[in-house]
Amino acid sequence: MAKMVIGLFSGSIDRLTAAGVVSSGAAALDMDIEIYVLLMGARAFKKENAATIDELSETPHLKNQFLAGLEKNQVKKWYQFLKDVKELTNVKILICGLAGKIWGGEKTDDFIDLVDDICGVGEYVDSAASADLHLFI
Amino acid sequence: MLSDDALKNLTADKVVDARGTACPGPLLAAKQKIAEVGPDQVMEVQSTDVGTKRDIPKWCNKMGHEYLGTVEESGYFRIFLKKK
Repeated sequence: MAKMVIGLFSGSIDRLTAAGVVSSGAAALDMDIEIYVLLMGARAFKKENAATIDELSETPHLKNQFLAGLEKNQVKKWYQFLKDVKELTNVKILICGLAGKIWGGEKTDDFIDLVDDICGVGEYVDSAASADLHLFI
Repeated sequence: MLSDDALKNLTADKVVDARGTACPGPLLAAKQKIAEVGPDQVMEVQSTDVGTKRDIPKWCNKMGHEYLGTVEESGYFRIFLKKK
């Protein structure tokens, strides 16, 4: 089965939503998905942050318009995309150990239930090197 | 591919109403519901999302299903495919 690897560096809602949408497309094509959550991304995956993240990394001055557009079009929350994708295909979500420490998360339980484990960067690079599709978001 | 007239007279074995959902909703709905359709049976995906008109045929090609065509109704699209 083809494999997509995402290096999810961003912790902003625009890019997190993009990761969810792209993962949905990969799931529709029966691809395996591995998401390696890097530096800023780890903050969004902390239990206390996931539901309240609303920063934009692109055009932050258009935040209200963007959020209104998501709501108007009934776009799912970024983590709901990932939850639904997990029910459709093989998905592993791994938090970079360094990133976790930066945001005060050193064990899997510090993060939302979608997270499978904590990993090192070597695993990410190795997996990306063997992926059919590698995205850095 | 079937003609518009043939599509309009086609009764699908499974109708997936994904109207009102934005991309990737209709595609995911197709992915989920195709499991409930038998080989050579026809599934119709209804979508208000314009991008789905291009997405489903590409998905069919990748997954090996036969894309039969799309009919435009008032405010939505009916996309037909045959499961392989």
